[in-house]
Amino acid sequence: MTIFLTAGSIYLVFILNEEGPLRILFNLLTFAGIYGLAAIGLNVHFGLTGLLNFGHASFMGVGAYVTLLLIPHAAGREGEITDTGLTFFPALVIGIIAAALFGLLLGLPAIRLRGDYLAIVTIAAAEIFRLLVRDLESVTGGVYGIINFSESLQIYKPEFLINFSERFELNSSQMWVGLLSWISIFIVLILLRRLINSPWGRALRAVREDEDAVRALGKNAIWLKLQSFMLGAGIAGLAGVFLAFNYGSLQTTTFVPLLTFYIWAIMILGGVGSLTGPIFGSIIFWVIISETDRLAQLIFENANGQQLAGVRFILVGLLIMLLMIFRPSGLLGKKEELLLDVKSS
Amino acid sequence: MLKVHNLRKRFGGVKAVDIDDISFEQNQLTSIIGPNGAGKTTFFDLISGFTEGDEGKVFLNEKNITNSQPFSIARQGMVRTFQLTKVFDRMTVIENMMFSGSNTKNDSLFRSLMKLSTQKNNENLIREKAFEIMKDLNIDHMADSYARELSGGQKKLLELGRSIINDPKILLLDEPLAGVNPKLAEEILSIIQKLSDQGITIIMVEHNIEAVMKISERVIVLAEGSVIADGNPEKVRKDPKVIEAYLGSGNE
Repeated sequence: MTIFLTAGSIYLVFILNEEGPLRILFNLLTFAGIYGLAAIGLNVHFGLTGLLNFGHASFMGVGAYVTLLLIPHAAGREGEITDTGLTFFPALVIGIIAAALFGLLLGLPAIRLRGDYLAIVTIAAAEIFRLLVRDLESVTGGVYGIINFSESLQIYKPEFLINFSERFELNSSQMWVGLLSWISIFIVLILLRRLINSPWGRALRAVREDEDAVRALGKNAIWLKLQSFMLGAGIAGLAGVFLAFNYGSLQTTTFVPLLTFYIWAIMILGGVGSLTGPIFGSIIFWVIISETDRLAQLIFENANGQQLAGVRFILVGLLIMLLMIFRPSGLLGKKEELLLDVKSS
Repeated sequence: MLKVHNLRKRFGGVKAVDIDDISFEQNQLTSIIGPNGAGKTTFFDLISGFTEGDEGKVFLNEKNITNSQPFSIARQGMVRTFQLTKVFDRMTVIENMMFSGSNTKNDSLFRSLMKLSTQKNNENLIREKAFEIMKDLNIDHMADSYARELSGGQKKLLELGRSIINDPKILLLDEPLAGVNPKLAEEILSIIQKLSDQGITIIMVEHNIEAVMKISERVIVLAEGSVIADGNPEKVRKDPKVIEAYLGSGNE
């Protein structure tokens, strides 16, 4: 059913767009890849370990800012190019590590909190991060953001992608970001599958089920949770970098709580705890996000842009509600491991 | 083996635990009984590190374990179970067992990512041991079922099995017979007896007086946080203070 739904939603793109459906499709697939990657990270936190993290956007933000500030870029109002001499890939690795360390930093005081309390702290921490970045204009460019950094990644763009993009009149830079994010998903999923079926994954699931029992059996639950928090944060950091490159400029407004909520929606759609679920959840989610305008235009002929944006949220909300009623474990989640009844004790 | 000195804990105005001195001897099967609210579970929480005491000290094999982390106490050989069974519901029975049988080194992120062969060998050993124990407890046929599919009694058995896979020296059992049908209760009792015979020191909180009197070598009675009687079952059974605590004094 999942494959059918995903294929169907992609087909919808072709029906609704007579002109340039491929361009729209690849645009939304790029977003789907990036958000899907972030949702996979969130699934490590929530699906695997039971951590209610509502600050996912900040992990993406840390990854993006650290990476971009290390490669040639222009930040702030003056917009002069600055450079640390690092190329993209080393900077990316440092960005991912920074996101993981931010997870550790946030986790050290917060990870002892249970259930909803952790959710409150993480969402607050994410907002503090965003506002801090906005106000540290001398480093981060503040509200002016960061621009002119794309070249560092685009120099690696393979020839075949340029040719392919030219033939179908696509944006080759975006195609490259999209391709990289899907490659990353592939690699991350292979590693995660290994981990989930390992003793480490088993220990995390035990933490998810009952922390007290874990402690009573001689296992350091806090440390396990911290490891999970760092791993998921690192994956989110990677997604954040791709998000920045996809936009071509980095703005603090990208990392508002709405980003976190979108990623939650994607994870729940795809199936909490399911390895590949977030991918399908993400594609379907992005078809809805990008095609509701057109769909709504068909239904409400005289609606203006703002009203259509409202319809978008209604449709996403409706979809999640229907899903929760008819398939509460998400598209690919296991019914036996249904997780949305979070215990707060 | 386990010594408690001046252990006190208050919850607001209520004295939950107020114990001067108790020590538990090796190999002895001790039961702690007492009316509801007598502080039995709080006592367990205090000695297993789940609750911090207001004052007092706990020694395990002469080592001060007061306010140690629960996992560290468990690693030193004192493992507890819970009044309300805490099995990992959405994991299979064998996963429950193997998680407990595994150690931090075996669980490590690095080893898991690298799929080291030492880990694989370890896992096989743990699995073998888990099956041995599950056979003894008669839950081996449920190995691949999710733990939440087990009956209440089977969950108790699983929790017990999970607790003994690492060969603890002391086992703290919090109401191992609660909510279990009489036949299974009989079975669990004989398992506890067997563990005791194997040399595990057992301290058990239990409401089922019949059962307690039958298998315990020593019975400690708590009331309002304090020890009011301590000795062999016959002696405790006849103690007037115990009868009063359970039945209430006639003067009120």
